[in-house]
Amino acid sequence: MRKPIIAIAGLTACSGCQLTLLNCEAELPELAERFDLAYFPLGITEGAVTGPFDAAFVEGAVSTPDDLEILIKLRSRSRHLVAFGTCALWGGVAAMNNHESRNALLETVYGEGGSEMKSFNPQPFRHFIKVDFAITGCPPEKPEILAALAALLRGTFPVFPRYPVCTECRSRENRCLLIEDNEICLGPLIQAGCNARCPAVGIICEGCRGPVDEANVAAELELFLEKGFTREEIGRRMRRFCPEWDYEQRS
Amino acid sequence: MAKDFLPIGSIPDFLDALATFGEVHGPLLTDDGVQVFGRIASPADLRLDYRRTLLPPKKYLLPPRETVLTYAPDSGYRPPPLPDRDIILLALHPCDLAGIAYLDMAFTSTEPDPWYRARRRRLTLIGLSCEPDEFCFCAEVGAATPGNFDLFLERTPAGFHIRTGSRRGEKILARLARLLGESEPALSSPQRCNIESAILVAVRRGETFPYSPLWDEFASRCLSCGACSLCCPTCYCFDVREYGLLDGESAERIREWDNCLFMAHGETAGGFNFRKNRRERFLYRYRHKYLGFGPTRGTLSCVGCGRCREVCPVRIDLLELFKEER
Repeated sequence: MRKPIIAIAGLTACSGCQLTLLNCEAELPELAERFDLAYFPLGITEGAVTGPFDAAFVEGAVSTPDDLEILIKLRSRSRHLVAFGTCALWGGVAAMNNHESRNALLETVYGEGGSEMKSFNPQPFRHFIKVDFAITGCPPEKPEILAALAALLRGTFPVFPRYPVCTECRSRENRCLLIEDNEICLGPLIQAGCNARCPAVGIICEGCRGPVDEANVAAELELFLEKGFTREEIGRRMRRFCPEWDYEQRS
Repeated sequence: MAKDFLPIGSIPDFLDALATFGEVHGPLLTDDGVQVFGRIASPADLRLDYRRTLLPPKKYLLPPRETVLTYAPDSGYRPPPLPDRDIILLALHPCDLAGIAYLDMAFTSTEPDPWYRARRRRLTLIGLSCEPDEFCFCAEVGAATPGNFDLFLERTPAGFHIRTGSRRGEKILARLARLLGESEPALSSPQRCNIESAILVAVRRGETFPYSPLWDEFASRCLSCGACSLCCPTCYCFDVREYGLLDGESAERIREWDNCLFMAHGETAGGFNFRKNRRERFLYRYRHKYLGFGPTRGTLSCVGCGRCREVCPVRIDLLELFKEER
C-alpha cells in the first residue's frame, strides 16, 4: 500500500489543532510509519510546499494575503483539503469581532499604524476554496483526528455523527445547565464529538465546535431571551467561535 | 399469613443478600444532583424515594454506545466478549418495568439481538411501587400495573411487601427468608383508571391528528437536542458505523442510540431523506411511539414515565395532542 502523502499547515491561528495532532503521542510512531508527512512546518523544520499531496490538513482562518496564497497553493496541490479545526471551518475566535471596524481592531492591537497592516476579516476556508472534509473543534478531539487519518489510509473519510452536544451530554447523565440552572449553554446548537467535555464538569457549552447541521437557532434564541438573557449577551456568546449564525434559521 | 414483609430497617441486610446474586444497581443521586441508576456501593447511596432517573434502565440492555463487531485481517469480523456479570437492578417503577417489557419484545421476540439478549439474561429486575408526580401518567397508557419483574416491592410506611414474578425471584426471596416478617393483609391495590383514557381511545382508533396545528408548532420549537428519545425507556433506534484503525487493516463497528428527530435518521446514501423536515419527523415519532408499525403495529409503547416532558428544554409535550381529543 502506498503511503498517503500528507501536508499539515496553519494559517492565522494558535497552532492548537496541529499541536493536538502532535500530542497523539501513543500514535505518532504509527503515523510516521503509515504516512509520508511531506509538508509540516510546525513539526518538521525542512520543507517547502511541493506536492502533490493526497491530503492537506489546514488549520486557521484566512486573514492575510499570505494566508490566502498558502491556502490556494495547498488546495491546488492536494487531492483532499481538510478544514482542520473550528477556525478553518467557521472562522473561530479570531473572527469573533468581524462585525466591528477592521481598522479600529488593528489599532487596538497594534497601535497607530496598525491599520496599514495587510489583513482582512478572518474567514473560513469555504469563502475561498472547496473543502472536502472538516474536523471541527477548538482544538479538535484526538479520536476524530485519528479516525480521519485512519480512513484516509483506505482512501475515504469517516462519518461523524451530526447531532448536538446535548445528545452526548444526556447520554452521560450530566446535570442540564440549560434547564436546571438556566445558564446560557449552547449545547443544543453545537456539533457533538467532544463527549460534552465542558458540561460534564459543570461548565456551559461555549460552542467551540461550531454549529451543528440542523441547529434551530431561532428557537434557542427565543429560549435564551425567555430566560432573561439580553440579545447582546447571546450574540456575544454565539459569535465567539462562529461569527456567521443565521439567527432566523429553524432547521 | 405469608412471610413477605421486609421492614424498612432491613434494607442494608436486603442489599447484602442481593449482592450474593450479582452487582446491585439502583437509583442514586450523582454529585451534580442528578437521579440515575448506578452501582449501589453502600445502603446510603440508595434513593428509594426517587421520582425518575434521567436515563431509563434501557442503558443496561442497550448502552448509549457499544462496539458490536471488531475486524482483524486474520480473524475477520468478531463480536466482542459478551457481558459476564450479573446485575440486580433495584427499585424500578412499573413504567420502567413496562419499558423493559417492550424492549424485550423488540429485541428478543423474532430475531434475538445477541448483545441485548446476553445482557438481559444477566439482569434481575426488582420493582418498586411509586407515587405519580406532575410529569407522569402511567395509568393513562395502561402501564400502572406492575409486570415483567423478578421481585416487586410494594411500599408501606413501615417497609415493603414483596411478591415474586419469576423463578429467579422465588430463588432470591428464599434466600431473604430470615429478613422477612409477616405481612399485614389489606394491601392497597395499585392505582387504576376505570374510565379508559383519552390516549387509549385515540390510539385504538389509530388517530394521527392530521389537522392538528401542534405539529408545526412542535417543529418550530424543537431544538433537535435528542433528549426526549435518549431519555425514553422504549426508544431503541440505533445507528451503526464502522471506523478503521490506524494500522490500515483492522476496524471497529459501533452502534449508538439514534433519534428520529435527527436529520440523519431518515437519510440514505446519496443524500435522499425519507423525512426531510422536523414536522415529518414529529409525525413519525408519534406514529411509532403511539401506534407502532411493522411487527409492533398496534402496540402503544409510551409507558407514561414522563421523562420526555421533563427533559425537553422547550417543553414540547406530545400529550397536548390528546388534549384536543378530550
